[in-house]
Amino acid sequence: MTAALPNPPVDSPGRRLLRQLWRSRSARLGGLLLLTLVAVLYAAPLLSDKDPNKNVPSQALRPPSLAHPMGTDHVGRDTFTRFLYGGQLSLRVGLAGIAIGAVVGITLGLVSGYFGGWLDALVSWLTDVLMAFPDILLALAIIAILGPGLTNAMLAIGIAFVPSFMRLTRSNVLVLREMTYIEAARALGSPDVRILLGHVLPNALRTLFVLLTLGIGSSILAGAALNFLGLGAEPPTAEWGAMLNAGMKYVRQAWWLTVFPGAGIFLAVLAINLIGDALSDALAGTPLAADEG
Amino acid sequence: MFSYLIRRLLTSLLVLLGVSGLVFSVIHLVPGDVTMAILGRQRVTEERVAELRAQLGLDDPLPVQFGRYLGNALSGDLGKSIRTGQPVAASIATQLPSTAALAFAALALALALGGALGIAAALRHGTWFDTLVMALSVSGLSVPTFWMGLLLILLFSVQLGLFPSISNSSSPRDLFLPALTLGLPEAAVVARMVRASLLDVLGKEYITAARAKGLPYRLVILKHALRNALIPVVTFAGLQMAYLLGGATIVETMFARQGIGRLAVQAIFNRDYPLVQGVVLVTAAVYVLINTLTDITYVAINPRIRLK
Repeated sequence: MTAALPNPPVDSPGRRLLRQLWRSRSARLGGLLLLTLVAVLYAAPLLSDKDPNKNVPSQALRPPSLAHPMGTDHVGRDTFTRFLYGGQLSLRVGLAGIAIGAVVGITLGLVSGYFGGWLDALVSWLTDVLMAFPDILLALAIIAILGPGLTNAMLAIGIAFVPSFMRLTRSNVLVLREMTYIEAARALGSPDVRILLGHVLPNALRTLFVLLTLGIGSSILAGAALNFLGLGAEPPTAEWGAMLNAGMKYVRQAWWLTVFPGAGIFLAVLAINLIGDALSDALAGTPLAADEG
Repeated sequence: MFSYLIRRLLTSLLVLLGVSGLVFSVIHLVPGDVTMAILGRQRVTEERVAELRAQLGLDDPLPVQFGRYLGNALSGDLGKSIRTGQPVAASIATQLPSTAALAFAALALALALGGALGIAAALRHGTWFDTLVMALSVSGLSVPTFWMGLLLILLFSVQLGLFPSISNSSSPRDLFLPALTLGLPEAAVVARMVRASLLDVLGKEYITAARAKGLPYRLVILKHALRNALIPVVTFAGLQMAYLLGGATIVETMFARQGIGRLAVQAIFNRDYPLVQGVVLVTAAVYVLINTLTDITYVAINPRIRLK
């Protein structure tokens, strides 16, 4: 596009959606909460000059004070510093998990829905099989295979998300495949890859947005859960779920070790769910493929 | 209906076959040699490795192994725990009632609490109470189970001393905190669902007709609205029961409570593959069974779907 062109008179669907979101109170609240949280977590070097993994035995289990706003843990590490770095890791685990699930699931859904036939039957059956495991159990089974660890936890969460993305994408593709503009593209001889990536995917993405957004929340929860069970980050790495696990042993003496990391997970997921809900409301009225593609 | 039933059961059987295939392959997907993963880096004799390979039946061709695994599983033999030597099926059978008690208690709590809040919110649609219930519900969905469990322990066990933080039995006192931990997020889901479903039904013409007929409001709600609004909730309850079985892993670990969830986590730490396989297979089978029953019930009580 050149600079000489005037702005288009009608809104792009993306901009319209953003405006709709801005009108929703829960989306504004969620957005503000999320931005604040991310800003605070990533301002860690400015907010604290302490080492998250440095033991100071003489300072063990101190309640919150000016020097330690969130107290200290059983080996005297500063909980606030660990909260900041641990939160960054928790968010990264959640994002990595959902990214793996989305990329694999959407690809499988696109291919199986578009080409159909035995490939579709096979992928659909595999999805049914994966869906026969309650989420956390599937992740546990995958960790049983790969062994505990942070990378494996992300992979496990990702694989557990594949079926939902595959199903939703496939059902969208089945509708889109029959649309006139897709037929036209096919008749014009566009290669399948270009039709899939250029026409089908962008239209399917709009309904996938909700699953993606809410999925980030679930993924953060799942990652923290695996870490809480001790199947993720190795000590002394700070991560919210792992911090809760360690703090659980001192729940009677040191409430701050459980209250703060859990509040972090809760606020992050709450912010994302608020945005996701508003997004789902905003998209509820939009038909799948109003011929804009 | 009959052909639907057959089709649905066939699909479930195919899924179960896939599930057992996946569970069977757990032991073969372990990177490297599985016997090394189990025995660790300790110095082991060749005999010990051979013995373990024989115990796990790893020397036969894969299809033979899978056939044997399926056959044994169908006759209730899930192999023996590598660590304790106990039959896996027996371990699961002793732990399952505890998990079932927890899941049922949590479901009952979720339905009672979520149902009441959902109905009240729908009947007061648009008021501050409705907003409050919706806010509580989105919070309930965002709370990590394990954090809420710890907060409940802090409040009820540490501060008030009302309930134990370690749950050894299925007595109401021991079950209360774990069930509340597992049930509260579910209550949030139930409240949303009941509210949406009831609001939908309240907008229907037959409700207007019933009211125009002069029926008292209370009767309209009880006899016409609720009965229809609760259909999706009933089927949903079935699905949630299965979900609760998965959520039990965390709650059981947290309250040091017996159950198959904790059994699975411990088995993973111990690299006790037959035990992991057994727990995963049984849980998934229960899940498939509940899903199938739920689908069939849904179709049975909802003729509009049957006709499609």
